[in-house]
Amino acid sequence: MIENSSRLQRKLKAAAYLLIAGLTVEVISLNWAHPTSFLLFIILGGVLVVAGILIYLIALVTA
Amino acid sequence: MANYAVATVIALSIILIGLLMLRPSITAAQGGKMVAFIAFFILPIVATVLGASIHLENSTSTQFCLSCHVMQTHGQSLYIDDPKYVPAAHFQNNRIPKDHACFTCHTDYTMFGDVNAKLRGLQHLYVYYFKPTPAKLALYEPFKNRECLHCHTNGRSYEESSPHKEMKDQLTSNEMSCLTCHSKIHDVANIDKTKKWKGPGA
Repeated sequence: MIENSSRLQRKLKAAAYLLIAGLTVEVISLNWAHPTSFLLFIILGGVLVVAGILIYLIALVTA
Repeated sequence: MANYAVATVIALSIILIGLLMLRPSITAAQGGKMVAFIAFFILPIVATVLGASIHLENSTSTQFCLSCHVMQTHGQSLYIDDPKYVPAAHFQNNRIPKDHACFTCHTDYTMFGDVNAKLRGLQHLYVYYFKPTPAKLALYEPFKNRECLHCHTNGRSYEESSPHKEMKDQLTSNEMSCLTCHSKIHDVANIDKTKKWKGPGA
């Protein structure tokens, strides 16, 4: 039980870090009107956010 | 304004995620689980979708197109001080919105025109970053009259003037290009030799 809970916490923490990083990248890219900022938004920000959401969902399902 | 809305959603999401990380016990209660779901799932999706939409809107701006150095001579050509130059005359006389000048003439006015324009934009990005810049920039296909007629159809100066009136069918069917007569366009090869208009933003 305790092991399960700590595994869940670990996954949530990983999801949190990924989401915070992804959202930070997204907000930075939105203040820059350049093609590179679009790539930054999609490739870096988008991927980090999607990865964070997936890890969160996996944590919920496997909890 | 939209940027602020997305920034607010992102800030809210980050604050809630931070709070849940600092106080994981919140998620033990039903309300805490709901907050976690909103912070980890709903808000990041909303922020990403809204952010993508803002980026797509930004990509239609003149500033965006001219931010690549290969396009800068095209930007300068909008300031050529000669009304025979079609893009310059349109830009300087506000016949097109100055802040969306490139997109207004170079998008396709079809059902999926904007989507095609965005896909071409991605192709430009690929070429810009991973291929050598072509010595001469060219359109993927010849410029269609449709793009001109999107605005000029039913306009008095177009409909009632000669030879437009006489050649209307040929122009509408694209049998004859508008550029046959209005042939002075960006002319970037001679950009340094042309006199420039010293208007706002020049």
